[in-house]
Amino acid sequence: MKRLFLVLLIFALCLSAGAWVSADEAPGYRIVVHPSNPVTSVTRTFLQDAFLKRIKRWPNDELLRPVDLEPRSDVRKSFSKRVIGRSVPAVRAYWQQRIFSGRDVPPPELASDQEVISYVLRYAGGVGYVSAGADLRGTKAIVVRD
Amino acid sequence: MVRKGGTDLNSWRVACAGFCFCIALAAAPARAQDGEAEAPPIEFHGFASQGFILTLKNDYLAEDSTEGSFEFAEVGFNFTKELTERLSTGGQFFAQDLGPTGNFKPQIDWFYLDFRAEDWLGIRAGRVKIPYGLYNEFQDVDSARVPVLLPQSVYPLQARELFFSVTGGEVYGFLRMGGFGALDYHLYGGTFFLDADELTPPGAGFELAMHVRYVAGGRLFWETPLEGLRVGGSYERVRVETTALIPGLTPPLELDSRSWLYVLSAEYLAGDLLLAAEYGRGNDLQTSNYPEDQPTIDTTNERAYVMVSQRVASWFQPGAYASVFFPDVENREGRAQRQLDVALTLRFDVNPFWLIKAEGHFLYGTAALKKGLNVNPPDITQAAEYWGAYFLKTTAHF
Repeated sequence: MKRLFLVLLIFALCLSAGAWVSADEAPGYRIVVHPSNPVTSVTRTFLQDAFLKRIKRWPNDELLRPVDLEPRSDVRKSFSKRVIGRSVPAVRAYWQQRIFSGRDVPPPELASDQEVISYVLRYAGGVGYVSAGADLRGTKAIVVRD
Repeated sequence: MVRKGGTDLNSWRVACAGFCFCIALAAAPARAQDGEAEAPPIEFHGFASQGFILTLKNDYLAEDSTEGSFEFAEVGFNFTKELTERLSTGGQFFAQDLGPTGNFKPQIDWFYLDFRAEDWLGIRAGRVKIPYGLYNEFQDVDSARVPVLLPQSVYPLQARELFFSVTGGEVYGFLRMGGFGALDYHLYGGTFFLDADELTPPGAGFELAMHVRYVAGGRLFWETPLEGLRVGGSYERVRVETTALIPGLTPPLELDSRSWLYVLSAEYLAGDLLLAAEYGRGNDLQTSNYPEDQPTIDTTNERAYVMVSQRVASWFQPGAYASVFFPDVENREGRAQRQLDVALTLRFDVNPFWLIKAEGHFLYGTAALKKGLNVNPPDITQAAEYWGAYFLKTTAHF
């Protein structure tokens, strides 16, 4: 019984350690959509549902095409924490569940802002996020409401 | 008979045919419609897991697990293709080895043709994973969860046949309700295949034929306004007819089994913290055409667990749970009538495609030693009441 208590104590210490590693390094980002998209602002909940693919369509019935940056990107970490409400590993765990149960596949993960912008320009329903200083090349930046 | 160390040629043919189908889909040009960009390409994903089981005092999941066993492996490969904006298809090939079952016999784990009319209405036909509880749909997939074994009271690996996939159809949808959160629902119906050979003990001297008349159920989750908290319930009904061809017995023994099961679920996900709890009951009613020899069985079981995990670093995630199971709520006396399982897991993500897990279980009671559909169960009244189990498992996935 003492051994079990010791194991649980160590586990509790591990849990509490988690609170100390959530340093808030939050580089800025902008949400970009295709220039033909009439939307000028969206709620954070809408973006969350879009990037988790719980919803598939824009209000004008256009198919949503979300696109992510690669997992190591600081911009993605910031977006994931602020908009999705989960860390990048937690989001990837969500997608593991969806992929192997046959429910859905994750948005493509691209290496740079410019690749994200090219993707958004290719699809009328495209939506992505890029670093605050990125050249938008004709994509439209929209506002996120809480 | 249980096929050990062999494979079924027809199963491999099915797997090869499916693989060719994937290649054909991949090679087919994506159609551009009315100036639209091309549809995304076919997606392939897969995983392979190898585990090691060591138990103390009682054998569990694998024969001779008290001496250690590597008979704990899974491999899966899937594809998904968006055919049009609302229509998609996909399939997963799966093989596993778990003690005396599986034996790497390839099977189609799921396949579907999916029509998503609206966000709140989708229709899916084919073989679909059963949406039961929080985690049933990916119980086979080690990379999709923290524990090596999900709480066996609610997700029993030994009753895999009853819980995993249904061949038929499903209606589902997601409905956002403004400030009231969102609803996520699934309704399904169909049948599944029970391999009577695997359920008949070697040398039993009789043959079984099993027919699943139907399986039907649904799941409803409410994503509450408190971000990360979802609550809901699942319900399933199954009817199985079994014919036992016993030499000298005419007419054959006919068993009619009707079961229902519900589970209530709650999950809270905040950042890297996961809290989950589920509670459920199930009932099995079995009648026969020889009531004197095979009297009616009518039992209600009960199951529950609480689970917690926290990602401490991107590469390290510990977790723990406590799980209880009572096979008969009218009789909770004796070691065979209860199962308490306290588990501690350490998950290490070596890189985004490879993980290693170590897990220890302290177990009290022997109800878990009885295989769900085993017609010749071990004498669990004599097994050790206090026992343990340790698991090591590594998984690669892409």
